Amino acid sequence: MSAMNYDDETLMAYADGELDEATRAAISRDVGLDPELARRVTRHLALRTEVAGAFATIVDQPVPDRLLAAVKVAARATDTPRVNVVSLPSRTARAPARPWRLREWTAMAASLVLGIFVAGKLLPDGGEVATRLNALVARGELMTALDSQLASNPAPGAAVHIGLTFRDQQGAYCRTFVSRGMSTAGLACRRGGDWRIEQTSSVELGEGDLRQAAASMPPALLQAVEARISGEPLDADGEAAAVRGQWKPAP
Amino acid sequence: MTHGPEEISERIIELLPRLRRFARSLSRNQHDADDLVQSAVERAWRNLAQLKPGAPLHSWMFGIMKNAWLDNLRAAKRRGEVALPEDSGDHPAVNPTDMNANLWSVSEAMDKLPEEQRLAVALVLVEGMSYKEASEVLEIPMGTLTSRLARGRTALAASLGGE
Repeated sequence: MSAMNYDDETLMAYADGELDEATRAAISRDVGLDPELARRVTRHLALRTEVAGAFATIVDQPVPDRLLAAVKVAARATDTPRVNVVSLPSRTARAPARPWRLREWTAMAASLVLGIFVAGKLLPDGGEVATRLNALVARGELMTALDSQLASNPAPGAAVHIGLTFRDQQGAYCRTFVSRGMSTAGLACRRGGDWRIEQTSSVELGEGDLRQAAASMPPALLQAVEARISGEPLDADGEAAAVRGQWKPAP
Repeated sequence: MTHGPEEISERIIELLPRLRRFARSLSRNQHDADDLVQSAVERAWRNLAQLKPGAPLHSWMFGIMKNAWLDNLRAAKRRGEVALPEDSGDHPAVNPTDMNANLWSVSEAMDKLPEEQRLAVALVLVEGMSYKEASEVLEIPMGTLTSRLARGRTALAASLGGE
């Protein structure tokens, strides 16, 4: 399949969710056929993720009192005529606003990003991930850790540490992980007998701090967890039971 | 819908988290960002009469913040101020422990963008606004917005080491 002719602005608009449905669908199809196109789309998605993710946590921080006071003082000091304003459109009214259309494309962005990562860096070693039907699934050490590691009890010197384990809204198990080999924190969910990697963020890992890294999640990863989680994360007993049950979906 | 000052102040308070994020994406640190939010809030109240009937409050507030930011930059240039280098560790509000590394590097890269590109990137990539909404806040045609956005992205990718 030859290279598809999409210009950069079109691909940026794709990453921004600004294309009409037909063009969007065409690009979604073509990225699977053209690795160069996939690489370009990935770059735009990854940049958007990185920029949005950098500022994402600010909306969750408490607002300093001085700003609240500024609004109240100004309101009191203003002899304001009543003015007409319309209500916020619903897209922006949801609070706290998701900084980008997370669910629409994060999973794809993650798989593309990791796919490129894999092609460039991991496959020569045998690989911790593999592609299956355009999705990325865990293999090797990563798969073993996801299958059997208890967050409370990682093997000494393990190259992968597990953070949270939880059930998503369909009842499937998901686990966050940190992999030293991939310098990556990610989220994998149990789908069709595999651990499908649904979100990744690159992380810088110092020596020996993997356990701590597994406990603190990059904002983008936290958002991916929040978008999926149903109820509370599993406690140590729940996690052990899920390992024994070989991650079969909860009834 | 008619709203009195009470209700408008409630609505502005609801917007404060997003205004702080927008301001942070335009500023070097959270302290400067909060100063910007504060001056935008004060300016909004002074100019409340300019809020057109039927206009969405949030677009108007983001527009005011944009103007306040640009005015601050111009005033600083007139005074011959040079922006502080990144070492401003003596600033009481800059606490490296509450800045993730990603925020630090993206913020630094944003800081290098020309003003108009930075605004486009901040509204679309950080705030998640649609092109239409962002072009309304910036009072520019949509084509101008998308070309600024494209140039801003290319520059960001280069300084973040993507390409």
